[in-house]
Amino acid sequence: MAREGNKTISQLDSSISTGDRVIAWPRMGNIDLSMEALVSSLGAKIVMPPPNTNKALEIGVRNSIEGICLPYKLNLANYIMALEKGANTLMMFQAPGSCRFGNYTKMAQKTLKNMGYKFDMVVFDMYQSKMKQTLRAFWHISHCLNPFRYYKGFSTGFNKAFAIDTAERLLFYTRPRELNKGDAERCYKKWYKIIKETSSILGCKGLKKRVIEDFKKIPIDKDKIVPKVYLLGEFFVLLDPYTNQEIEKTLGDLGVEVQRQIFFSDWLEHVLQPSLFYKKESHRERCVRYAQDYMKRAIGGECIETVGDTVYGARNGIDGIVHIMPFSCMPEIVAQNILPKVSKNEDIPILELVLDEQTGKAGNLTRIEAFIDLVKRKKLKKERNKELV
Amino acid sequence: MESKTTPKTIGIPRAISYFSNYPFYYGYFKGLGIEIVLSDKTTNATINNGCKHVVSDTCLPIKVFIGHVINLLDKGCETIFVPSLQSSAYKVNNCSKIRGLPEIVRNVINRKITIIDPEINKTEGISFKDFCLDIARRFDIYDSETINSAIKKGWETYNNFHKMTVAGLSYKEALQNALDGNLVTKPIEIVKPLSVVIMAHGYNLFDERISMGLIKKLEKMGVKAYTSLNITTEQAYDSIKEIGEIQYWANELELTGTAAYYMLNNRVDGIIALSAFGCGPDSLMVEEVQYHAKERGMSMIHLNIDEHTGEAGFVTRLEAFVDMMMRKKRKQIMSSDVINLMHTAVAISKKTNTKAEKSKEEVIKI
Repeated sequence: MAREGNKTISQLDSSISTGDRVIAWPRMGNIDLSMEALVSSLGAKIVMPPPNTNKALEIGVRNSIEGICLPYKLNLANYIMALEKGANTLMMFQAPGSCRFGNYTKMAQKTLKNMGYKFDMVVFDMYQSKMKQTLRAFWHISHCLNPFRYYKGFSTGFNKAFAIDTAERLLFYTRPRELNKGDAERCYKKWYKIIKETSSILGCKGLKKRVIEDFKKIPIDKDKIVPKVYLLGEFFVLLDPYTNQEIEKTLGDLGVEVQRQIFFSDWLEHVLQPSLFYKKESHRERCVRYAQDYMKRAIGGECIETVGDTVYGARNGIDGIVHIMPFSCMPEIVAQNILPKVSKNEDIPILELVLDEQTGKAGNLTRIEAFIDLVKRKKLKKERNKELV
Repeated sequence: MESKTTPKTIGIPRAISYFSNYPFYYGYFKGLGIEIVLSDKTTNATINNGCKHVVSDTCLPIKVFIGHVINLLDKGCETIFVPSLQSSAYKVNNCSKIRGLPEIVRNVINRKITIIDPEINKTEGISFKDFCLDIARRFDIYDSETINSAIKKGWETYNNFHKMTVAGLSYKEALQNALDGNLVTKPIEIVKPLSVVIMAHGYNLFDERISMGLIKKLEKMGVKAYTSLNITTEQAYDSIKEIGEIQYWANELELTGTAAYYMLNNRVDGIIALSAFGCGPDSLMVEEVQYHAKERGMSMIHLNIDEHTGEAGFVTRLEAFVDMMMRKKRKQIMSSDVINLMHTAVAISKKTNTKAEKSKEEVIKI
């Protein structure tokens, strides 16, 4: 029984010379902006896989096994499309111990090799010594010796992530309150383009401020009663607009302010910063604290975040929770089992949406509309009771 | 004060870790002086009870587990053992649903219940010893000598059980003997025309309702079934390495390890994978083994089960698979050198016979 576990670090393949490397990574929300800034500042060539569409999903489904979860299918499709476009180095991070996610790279490597592609997969293992692993991976793909370039890459990458996430937060706030329909969306799209094109360090540092100023100019109805809804669930589905069928937009158009707890930039900050410099309570720690009554231990994936945020939201004036997950996601199924009790004890309505390649948009829309009606009625009742008192 | 006056009994549901670890639990709790109450064997009512409490996406074994917990509560046993087996070695984790089993039980059942939920998590440094100490502490036992001797007793029962299964005893016989404190090693092995290896979790395979008596059915068809209990942990671990995989799941030894061992040694004619619908680890492990089986030209079938699985369809698929293996084997024997060898052997024996007769005749002549 006593034996040592797997201490093997992902082996790095050096058969491709640095100059010939063409780098690609799977798509996930706005991760492209930061990665592009970082990799291009290190002087490597990039190929972007086309955005996730039905066609991509079809390729992914065709080449992967039946039982695996949706994110893998899309990741695999991204790899295949990127390899077709000429990429030869694939980047991916992995976190062993969470769920099936830790096995993605292994599976993908085998599948792609079987399909006859030649490539080098660079994997960052996000279990411990994350910064070291990350630096090692980037050194491997670029062999860049100039520390200024690393500084530039990380600085612009981080700031772009912060800026785009701020823009997204403001979009969620503004969309239900805007007076002229479509203003917020247009503003967001404009800033997405600007953030993508900015490349200087100073320019990127100022982005966040400029985004906030610009969003403030949009005329909004400040007195409108807007119910607030938390969007929780699995990391990938939350961040990928194709997979979640732009649920934020749907909710916003229905007159609801969406708040998402998981943002790429928050996660980056929490994961990459050494714990010495990270003084304030991280999102995860807060979740563990709030989930205490329902869960004693973390069980991998985002289960404890989902439960903790639900409790946090219920105690801080949130009106409803929308919980989204890919079909057969193991940690989220545990969360799904726990949430009914949370909903009852904390008096908060919860909508569960399970997404997979067969999900129809219309059916989900009906459910979302019904749920929002419920949330709104509850909110109005609360407001009226307040007035009476 | 209250805990001291309560009689020391613990309810163990006949599901999940019961099937692989019960000999240890039995020896350990007995050593501590705690009485064990077991739930009844799985029936349709157990599954239905479980289904009522959890969401539909949950897999069958978890539903069965909840059914057993309810069965224990109905029996009047309120202290229930629900271990959280998080990881078995550094970076080797279990499935989230097994890791979160106490969490599910705590939130799903709305009755008076005391959950004993010790944790084992070697990635985070919570060792097996802590697991045992945690159990003892819940029953107000702090004496280290008692605990140590109980652990020893637990391991003794567990090791006896495994020695017997490795020697070839069936799960039921071995368990009964181990609990009685006997060590039987049966030397006789019945030879069957075909043999298969079943890769499945213990809680799926040895629960006769879930697996629908798969081993018995195979035996009736003239097929010898090997399971994860017939090989040692080391053999399983080495086999995973030998086929070039890395152990990622805590129960990978039971599945990939077992299948790989028999595949490498060429001791079986086929592989049967039995898994519950929606099982995360299985979806990957079965795929892995399928890939290697294809390379080696070994036949393989993947049987998926859930609470709606009908027995008739299950049997048909099994029969078809066995028929196919039989035909394959016959063809192999017909086309191989064995037949030629037999012909030559017959010819040689004829020749020698004639020679002998001739010499006899000569002798007579003389």
